[in-house]
Amino acid sequence: MNAQSNFIVRAARWFDPRGRSLSTWGFMINRLTALGLTFYLFLHLITLGQLAQGPDAYDNFLKLTESPLYKIGELAVVAAVFLHGLNGVRIVITSFGIAVPRQREIFISAMVLGLIAIIIFGLRMFTA
Amino acid sequence: MSKPHAIIIGAGFTGTATAHDLALRGFDVTVVERGPIANGTSGRTHGLLHSGGRYAVKDQESAIECIDENLILRKIVPFVIEPNGGLFIALNESDLAYGEEFIESCEACHIPLERLTPQQALKLEPNLNPKLLVAFTIPDGTFDPLRLAMSFAATAKKNGAKFRLYHEVKSLLMDGKGTVTGIRLIDRTSNEEFDLHGDIVVNATGAWAGEITAMAGADVPIKPTPGIMVAFERRATQRAINRLCEPADGDIVLPQRRMMVVGTTSFTAENVDYIPIVEDQLKLMVERAADLLPGLRSVKLRGIYMAPRPLIGSGTGRSIARTFKCFDHKETHNIDGFVTITGGKATTLRAMAEKTSDTVCAKLGINVVCQTKETPLISYRQFYTLN
Amino acid sequence: MAEKWNITLKIYRQKQGEKAHYQEIKMDVNPDENVIDLVERAWAFHDRTLTFAHACHHSTCGACGMRVNDREKLTCITSVRSVVSNGGTLKVEPLRNFPVVSDLVVDMGELYRRMDLVGHQPVNSDRAEAIQPEFRPAGPAEPGEDFIRLSDCIECGLCMSACPVFSSTPDYLGPAVLAGAHQAGPEKNPSLLNLVDSATGVWRCHSVFECTAVCPSNVDPGWRIMELRRKVVGDRIKTLFNPRKTAQVSK
Repeated sequence: MNAQSNFIVRAARWFDPRGRSLSTWGFMINRLTALGLTFYLFLHLITLGQLAQGPDAYDNFLKLTESPLYKIGELAVVAAVFLHGLNGVRIVITSFGIAVPRQREIFISAMVLGLIAIIIFGLRMFTA
Repeated sequence: MSKPHAIIIGAGFTGTATAHDLALRGFDVTVVERGPIANGTSGRTHGLLHSGGRYAVKDQESAIECIDENLILRKIVPFVIEPNGGLFIALNESDLAYGEEFIESCEACHIPLERLTPQQALKLEPNLNPKLLVAFTIPDGTFDPLRLAMSFAATAKKNGAKFRLYHEVKSLLMDGKGTVTGIRLIDRTSNEEFDLHGDIVVNATGAWAGEITAMAGADVPIKPTPGIMVAFERRATQRAINRLCEPADGDIVLPQRRMMVVGTTSFTAENVDYIPIVEDQLKLMVERAADLLPGLRSVKLRGIYMAPRPLIGSGTGRSIARTFKCFDHKETHNIDGFVTITGGKATTLRAMAEKTSDTVCAKLGINVVCQTKETPLISYRQFYTLN
Repeated sequence: MAEKWNITLKIYRQKQGEKAHYQEIKMDVNPDENVIDLVERAWAFHDRTLTFAHACHHSTCGACGMRVNDREKLTCITSVRSVVSNGGTLKVEPLRNFPVVSDLVVDMGELYRRMDLVGHQPVNSDRAEAIQPEFRPAGPAEPGEDFIRLSDCIECGLCMSACPVFSSTPDYLGPAVLAGAHQAGPEKNPSLLNLVDSATGVWRCHSVFECTAVCPSNVDPGWRIMELRRKVVGDRIKTLFNPRKTAQVSK
């Protein structure tokens, strides 16, 4: 309840949507996608490491990429990139003091655009 | 010689201003208040820095008090005041007739005023009722209620006063010989009880004064007289707008930040601690505000509130004079070490404190002159930064 | 006749040294009255040990800020109707990010101290105060005619409670304080510019804009922080070509 409680408790409040307005969703989506993308980056580096271990390891890895779970994971990464990126554009332009009174509308547009892009990408991924 | 210890009960306008005055005069001061600063009548005041114009005709004593204190407050605590002056406007023949008396009375009370034609008035304040017949400018203003009290409190604190907020007085300590020697209080944040001794106890609880005096077996002739205030969502004028008539319900509309506040009414109440909002009075206030500023009729309401005023005397409602009185209970009930200050209005808080402090000093045989007229107050924020 | 609802008021209670708990009080309410009226009635008629902060009851003092159903509200201008429905529960808790003194009372000292630090002006020229384009001050704008009015910011602390960055980083100056710095005008005060141009100043804001969403008084702290960034960057560019003598950090 007070500012003296530990950091983990306080940081956990970043993701508590109770009583919060749409504005906080922008913040939460950016933090979550950032964490997700960072995690993805580590995964990516690890798999690249696999490639360095020769053709058998690489073949094993390729088998993995055919599973639907992997494809969903990839879609999640793409989704995170779209959402984080478009939301990030809102943050960048408002940080320069541009269109600040309209930031809520910009956020909604960014999320709608992002959703459309995710759907198109998803369709192409799963039907190609 | 050690400093005399004054215990002040109540941290509204009277309590905080008296704490400031006594602290300046070299007293050790402890203010006890059962809630936060100005949470009673003082917080819910209209906020009019009176020019005295409203009282000039029927209550010249009050009017002169007001204009004098108005000028002093503008000097010592300008940072809580919107000093933009005010207008008295006449809307009908009866108002016009009152206007003649008004001019004479204001002049008698040295309240500076200037006559304006309707065109001139509308040029100053375009949102006024265009049917106004005449207007007068007077040096009204608006103040922030909490920050006014807090500024006195901060300055008192700087001069050594201690504030115990959220501490409620449970009983007065008496020495068995008819003298109050202190108070027994409870810290409402922890439920701890303890005694506090002092050389004098000042009852500055306003409308609740009777509850405290009862603890000593005494009483005071105050009548808690609540009134309603209504705040609108738009700052429609820069100046205070008064109806040019005898003091009546809803005859003042004040700008404050981005609002207009109209008030007030006057009725008796039994329960001082909570006064419910009366629907009819709310409707009346909106009507009266719209008389002065027709545009307000379509403006959303922002706040509606009530608080009991402490009026002295035995009459009811508006006929009671709005002067203040300091009761030395040695004289009223042969109880020493105990005084009550009540009545008054916000604008005269410093004068009330001066009179109270003079009484306290006289009782304790202390001869120190009041300096509050010339002493500028420090920022209200220092109430928190000083320890 | 006024409408009558019946709701359950659920109040956060905690005295010093005790554990926090919630107290439930069933109340008959008029849906058009304000939340502060309910809290005051709870004290007057149900439990005299309840402590809560309030003063003006019309959004000029900033004392009655609380969290109502998890959302920061100025309870004197928050109608019951806007936060609960008939038969529902109205939860009332103290503001976040300030130490709880007792029940619904928090210690706002740090906010006041910081507002003094940045030099926010409690009264200001009406024209300078209302710089957002939607607000047109009443009265003629004659050249040279300047009206003084109380500043929009009432130091209620709602924005400080709602800001997730201030929540996890108490050193961050915070939206109210940065908005106050913006109002004070750092162009005239190089030490103020240094104070806000820092990791605990404007650069700590993460564009959540929850502060703007909860502000009851038209301050728009989010907008002011971004404007302050422009001033800061503009100043940096200027001093690049024309360095100031020394940066003094005054306190």
